[in-house]
This record gives sequence, structure tokens and C-alpha cells, in this order.
Amino acid sequence: MSIDLSTVPQQIVNGVTLGGMYALIALGYTLVYGILLMINFAHSEMFMAGAYFGLLFLNILSKVAFFTSSTIGFILLYVIVFLLAMTCTGILGMLTERFAYRPLRHAPRLAPLISAIGVSLFLQNAALLWISSRSIPFPVLFPVKNYRIAGANVSTLQILIVVSTILLLIGLDTFISKTKIGKAMRATSQDRDAAGLMGVNINSVIALTFFIGPALGGAAGMFSGMYYGNIKYNMGFIPGIKSFTAAVIGGIGNLRGAMLGGFILGFIEAIAAGFLSSGYKDVIAFLILILVLIFRPGGLLGESVVEKV
Amino acid sequence: MTIGKSKRFFALVAVLASLTMVVTGCGGTSADTTDGDAGSEMVEIKIGVSSPFTGDVAALGLGIKNGATLAIDEANNDPELAELGIKISGFFVDDAADPKTGVTAANQMVSDSAVVGVVAHLNSGVSIPTSAVYNEAGIVQVSPASTNPALTEQGFANVFRVCTIDTVQGSFAGDFAIDMLGATKVAVIDDSTPYGEGLAAEFAKQFAARGGEVVATEKIQLKDQDFKALVTKIQALDPDMIYVGGMYTEAALISKQAKEAGLDVPTMGGDGLYTQQFVDIAGAANAEGDLATSVGLPLDLQPKGVDFKAAFEATFPGQTIEAYDTYAYDAAMVIVEAIKQVAADMGADQVATPAGKQAVIEAVAAINYAGVTGDVSFDEKGDTTNKAITAYVVKDGAFVPYEQ
Repeated sequence: MSIDLSTVPQQIVNGVTLGGMYALIALGYTLVYGILLMINFAHSEMFMAGAYFGLLFLNILSKVAFFTSSTIGFILLYVIVFLLAMTCTGILGMLTERFAYRPLRHAPRLAPLISAIGVSLFLQNAALLWISSRSIPFPVLFPVKNYRIAGANVSTLQILIVVSTILLLIGLDTFISKTKIGKAMRATSQDRDAAGLMGVNINSVIALTFFIGPALGGAAGMFSGMYYGNIKYNMGFIPGIKSFTAAVIGGIGNLRGAMLGGFILGFIEAIAAGFLSSGYKDVIAFLILILVLIFRPGGLLGESVVEKV
Repeated sequence: MTIGKSKRFFALVAVLASLTMVVTGCGGTSADTTDGDAGSEMVEIKIGVSSPFTGDVAALGLGIKNGATLAIDEANNDPELAELGIKISGFFVDDAADPKTGVTAANQMVSDSAVVGVVAHLNSGVSIPTSAVYNEAGIVQVSPASTNPALTEQGFANVFRVCTIDTVQGSFAGDFAIDMLGATKVAVIDDSTPYGEGLAAEFAKQFAARGGEVVATEKIQLKDQDFKALVTKIQALDPDMIYVGGMYTEAALISKQAKEAGLDVPTMGGDGLYTQQFVDIAGAANAEGDLATSVGLPLDLQPKGVDFKAAFEATFPGQTIEAYDTYAYDAAMVIVEAIKQVAADMGADQVATPAGKQAVIEAVAAINYAGVTGDVSFDEKGDTTNKAITAYVVKDGAFVPYEQ
């Protein structure tokens, strides 16, 4: 079996779409790590929660005739559903922080980590008990078309996912680097106590971090539901692990690193599954992680973490 | 201080003594005895039932629970059993389709001495490791659904199954692809589990032996959702069919992603795909024309299929009958029949003793029972002598028996 290079453009499209989702989730890990030096293992459940919230609002709002009668209605419907799902997931993230992590903020670093695993199990089992153990179909209400671009089939969904992901990434990057609140977040990340002394409200910055990260994870969950057509209570597990890997490859704590890591990981997986063997794609992805950690222990863009005093 | 110590010592002795009584009570005769209506003593005997009640394949696993529940209910209405002084109850444990959880579930069941047999499990990957637990405990295991040949090749005398094995099912699918579908090039995918690998290998072997070409052999991981890269790779090889050795979630996602990528060929698989959930996940339009083989005859053609359907709908209104419900029913009924024979020979209070459990194993081995799925009897390995396989195709959003 020789390697068929004609599928390269298609594999790049596959990889970029997957990578975009990884990047969105990875941002949640890296934001929280940057501020609290803690790995929020409950983040993969935010991804799941976002998908369920999205389905809930989609089911409610698609009953309104205005939204399903015209193209503008559809666009508005999805924008509103996305905003609602992201807001609800964000609030869930803030509640998690308030009740599971804030009481442990001055505890040894292992304690919030264990608490995060507890939250993860709790949310997963809550969805299992209250909703269903089965896969639930996630409808795509607008017609999906395929376009032929440079030798690859690109669907409306893939374009939507990649474009929205890039917009969200640019939006977040601008927010962190240009706004006053973004500056407060960066200050908290550099030195929490000193930032507090300079008048930054640490609690609200941390709460905001726990809103933004899960909101982006929730958006990724909705994208995943639309892209794969169904959602399930344990859907966050694999993307969660992969995105955490992406955040580490890019340099955990570094926003642009998480984005880069997400796209690199998605790309590696697609190429590995497409040209080697799909059974080995995870092996290759984690091999790359090990190589990155050997040669650049801080991750690809990870220098900013080292500056921490 | 000495008083405190001796008090504690007496408390300990009391606890130990009561424990000993419980243990001898359970082990010596049978389990708990309850007073029957007429004042006669009813011996309670348990049948363990373990399959995935949660997780990715819960649809099939809960079906097994339903089938076994029906059998146990029916057995308790059987006057013959009441006359023997036996009341049967189910001991249901979730194995989550996971080998480790399965072994825990198995230990939980065998540690209750009233359990004389188990209807377990769905997945071959779970049934194989747990069979050693049942073998050591000396109780009979009848699997309703584990089709990997290795299960009964371990030489355990207590292991049986009422479903046809993968060597039969895989080679049937290989012949079917050539004779009925006219396929010449097939991409074979398995999900890296004993069930999926075994089935896919048998299919590929038969398909190649009949002159077909296997253009790709790929492995996937359970719980993965993204098969786009795999589909793109397969698409370039231009197969007429995709064969998936695996369960419905992954197979449905492969079918959906293949059609979305423009690879409009049927996806075929084994009994792990034969559930409405496959169609729901893939989407009715994508699943149209996809195929699955399943063990035995379609429900309507099974000797007592119509009766089963009526009883099922009365007991579980609103639920659908899944692939293994009738097999679980027959598996439980085989154990019930064996219990009846042993109780008649040795007395009801002897069934749950080690000797009684051994007698149950021997009774199952020699059983000849007219079940819902057909006449149930076992060969020397413990496999069913019923080798029927049926092919199903998705038509208008539901699996129906394939007709040319």
C-alpha cells in the first residue's frame, strides 16, 4: 500500500477542524493554570455541559417560527444559542470555582487538583443520572453543503467551526492584551499577591477566568455536537485529555501556545491516522508531546512561565 | 482499663459469633428462607445478571437486563417451581462494558452464596476474564451475547453461551458481502477489542478466501469520535463496502462521517450494530442501506417470538426489544430449568450448596430446552448448537431482515 498524496489537502482540512476544537478547550486549561497554577480537570466536563446547554436552547428556540423561517433567522438562532450556552457554561465554571476551588486556594497544591477530579466525576455522573446514559442526536438545522477547495471537500460546518474558532481566539487574545481587565488578569498571573496590593480585585479576576475558560470550552462542546451529530455524558473525556496535551505542547500558561498546540495536535492526528494507521494516531500524538517536553520542557511558547518568580 | 478491655473483647466475640452464624447459615443450607403464603418454607435462589447498564453500549446491556427480568418473573409464576419450594430473584450488577468493572461485578455476585448461576456478560472482553471468577466459584455462567470463540476455548466446564460465535457470524458476513452485495473491495475496521478484532478477522479471512480484496485493515479506539482522517484514507482506496468489527456508537459515527465525506458505500457489521441506536446516531439518511448480521432468527420468526413480544410489551411498555433480549431470556431460563432439575433430585435446600451448584452446571450442559430463540442445547465446549445468523439492512430508518 503506497502513500497516496492526493489526500493531503483533505487531511489538512480534517486536522485543522479538529485542531480548532482542541485549541478552544486548551485555552481553558491554560488560562486557569496561568492564574492559579492549577490544572482544572473538571474542564472536560465544561465541554460536555456546553453541548448539553446548546442542545437545550436549540430545542427551545427552534420552536419559534421566526428563527427557522429565513436565513437571517437561522444565523440569529445559532448566535443566540451559542451565547446562551457559553454563558451558562461560564456560570457553571464560576460556581465550580466558588464552591470547589476557592475554599482550597491556600491549601497545598494537590488539594484543588483532587477537588477538580471530584467535580469532574460529579458532573459526569450528574449528566448520566439526570439526562441519559445514551447518545443524544444533536440536530443541525441548516442545510450542510460541501465545497471543493484546492482538492479537498470542505463542508459548511467545517468552515463555520474554523471561522468561529479563529474569531473567538482573536477576540480572547485582544481582550487579554488590550483591555484593562485583561491587564489585571496578566498582573494576577504574574504575581497574585502583588497584583492584589496594587488594587486588582483578585477574586473577581479569578472568577472571570473561570467564566471565560469554560465558556470557550462550552462553545467547543457545541461545535463537537454539531460536527459529530451526537452528544453523550462522557464525551468530554478524550477531547479533555487531548486538549490538555495541546496546552502542554504549546506551553501551559501561554494563551497563544495553547492555540498553536491545539492546531498542531489536530494536524498530527489527522496526518498520523491518514498516512500511518489510525490505531497509532494517539501513540504518535503523545510521542510528539514527549519529544517537545524533552527538548523544550516549558512547551513550544512556554518561556513566559519561566519568568514567574 | 481492664474492664474496658474485656468489654471490648466480649463485643468482638459477640460480633464474630454472629458473623459465624450468618456464614454457616448461608453456606450450610441455602440462603435466606422466607415464609410462603401457605406457611411452607420457600427457598430463595438468586440468578446473577450482569451487563452494561450504563455507558456506550447500555442500550444492548439494558436489553439483557430486561430479558432476564422477564424470565425470572415468569419462573416465579411457574407452579412447578413453587411446588419445589423455590423462589428465584435476580441479582443485577452493572459491568459498564469494562473488564475491570466486570471482574468486580463477578466477585460481587459469587460472594453471595444464594447465587447459583449468572447470565453474563454482553462484551466478550468482559466475559473472558470474568469466566475465571465463575469457574473458581463453581457456578454456571451462561452468556447471552459474547460471541468471541476464545470464551469457550478455555476449557472451563461451567461456561456456556446461547449465541452463535464469531467464526460463524464473520464468515457468514464474508459470504454475504460477495454473494448478496457483489462487493469486491472492502475496508475492514475493528475497535481493538476481543469481539471487534475476532469478528473483523473472520470476515476478512472469508472475504479474501472467496476472491474479494481487503483494501485496508484499520484499528480504532473506543470512545473516539473523529474518524474523518480514517475515512479520507479509506476513500482514496475506493472500496465498495466498509466492514466494522465493533459496537454501534463507533460504527455509526464511521458510517455518518463516510457519507458526509462523499464515500457513499454501505457500512456493515456484526450483532454489535444491530440496534436502533445505530440508526439514531448515524442519522437515518446516512444509515440507509447499512447492514448488520445478528445471531439467530429475526424476532418474528423465532419459535416463541410473538409470545415474547407480547410479554415484553406488557412488562416494559414504551421500550424496544434490543438484539439480545430474547437470548438473555433463554440464558436465564436455561439456568431456571437446571435449578428445577437439581431441586427435584436433591431437594430445594440443596441447590445453593457447592454440590448443588456443581449439579446445576451438569444439568445446564445436558439441557434441551425449547426457548424463544429456538431449541437450546450445548456442544461439548459450551457453545450453542443453534447456528442461525440473519442479515439485517436499514430501510426507512430501521433495521429489517435483508431480502434480495
